[in-house]
Amino acid sequence: SSWLPQLVQFRGSHWQTSLLAFKASLPMRVQPKKKKKVDIKREQAQKDRMKKKIRKLEKAAPEMIPIEDFITPPKYSDSSRVRSLPPLSFEETERRVLLMKKWSLYKQKQDEAEKKAIQTLVAAQQEALKELRLESEELYQAAIRRDDGLFPFERDGPSYTPPLPGYDPPEGKCIDITKVYTQ
Amino acid sequence: IELERSHYSDHEIRKLEEEEQLKRRKESMHDDDDEAPGKTVVMAQDLEEKWEQKLLRFKAAPRITDADKNDIRTSLNRKLDRNLMLLVKQKIGNQELWLLPQAEWQPGETLRSTAERAMSTFLGDHIQAKFLGNAPYGLYKYKFPRAIRTEDNVGAKVFFFKAFLQSNDLSQAELKEDYLWVTKDELGGYLNSEYLKKVNRFLLDL
Repeated sequence: SSWLPQLVQFRGSHWQTSLLAFKASLPMRVQPKKKKKVDIKREQAQKDRMKKKIRKLEKAAPEMIPIEDFITPPKYSDSSRVRSLPPLSFEETERRVLLMKKWSLYKQKQDEAEKKAIQTLVAAQQEALKELRLESEELYQAAIRRDDGLFPFERDGPSYTPPLPGYDPPEGKCIDITKVYTQ
Repeated sequence: IELERSHYSDHEIRKLEEEEQLKRRKESMHDDDDEAPGKTVVMAQDLEEKWEQKLLRFKAAPRITDADKNDIRTSLNRKLDRNLMLLVKQKIGNQELWLLPQAEWQPGETLRSTAERAMSTFLGDHIQAKFLGNAPYGLYKYKFPRAIRTEDNVGAKVFFFKAFLQSNDLSQAELKEDYLWVTKDELGGYLNSEYLKKVNRFLLDL
């Protein structure tokens, strides 16, 4: 009968070792009896690591927001898309050069006229203000005051043809697919 | 269409591919007998034709309106590509003259409010007009004829302000007497020469 206690002992030790291993192999979420200092230290170390990461990210320069108008999508630089046109004739080039000259002259005249008109406008206004000052100082001060309701000034320009009376525009939804970037 | 400095667009590439497919089908008629009758594919060419027909069906409103043809100067629908000014016939002293609408300044109000009052007397109260700033744009001085001159009032100064009319319909306007909407060129036919000279300085033309 000496084998019984031996067996018990062996089982006890076997059980104990297996139990311990069993406990250690499980992911330990509940830590009821561990010391508090270790926890605090571990948590503080974690916080410091996170703070260092945050500081590194903040120090790094912010990424540039890509301007989508300046980047051509790669599918448009395919060589298969290139047109094959006949070369321009001599008359065509001549016509274009002459047209460009006439156009630049016309634009110059137009620009000069505009500038002149603006100058007369300003001169007339200055004159009016001078006379107003002679009349009464109070009115002059009232006239000089800035008009805040003026800017931003919006005005719809005229279209090439006037709007059709009783025109029913076709209905449809407008879905905005612009990409919004945040820094 | 800009041909020289552009590449082919998606629609054009589709059209070219479909043309090639059609060519291949015509050359090898025997192979595609199974596919061709079954499918009804919308070709790019068909789309283009559809769009063209839609364009032909659309008719834009004419640029030269009825008022232009009959030279009705009292409607706002004239000369749609030019700026129009309002001229009113007013009685000053003994004469009835064509003038830009004016009202006498009452002491205690700013010049701009005088202008607004003038506008509301001639065009009605519910007119939306955008005044361009507080300062006057032009000036016209004149002396009264000797009969009316007193010691204080030798003459009068007329200050001009500019405003853009916002609303198109003047149905609510109670315009009495004669009024005209004129462009800058036609002003000369109505105004006195001195007045005209001063007014022309600050009116911009297109």
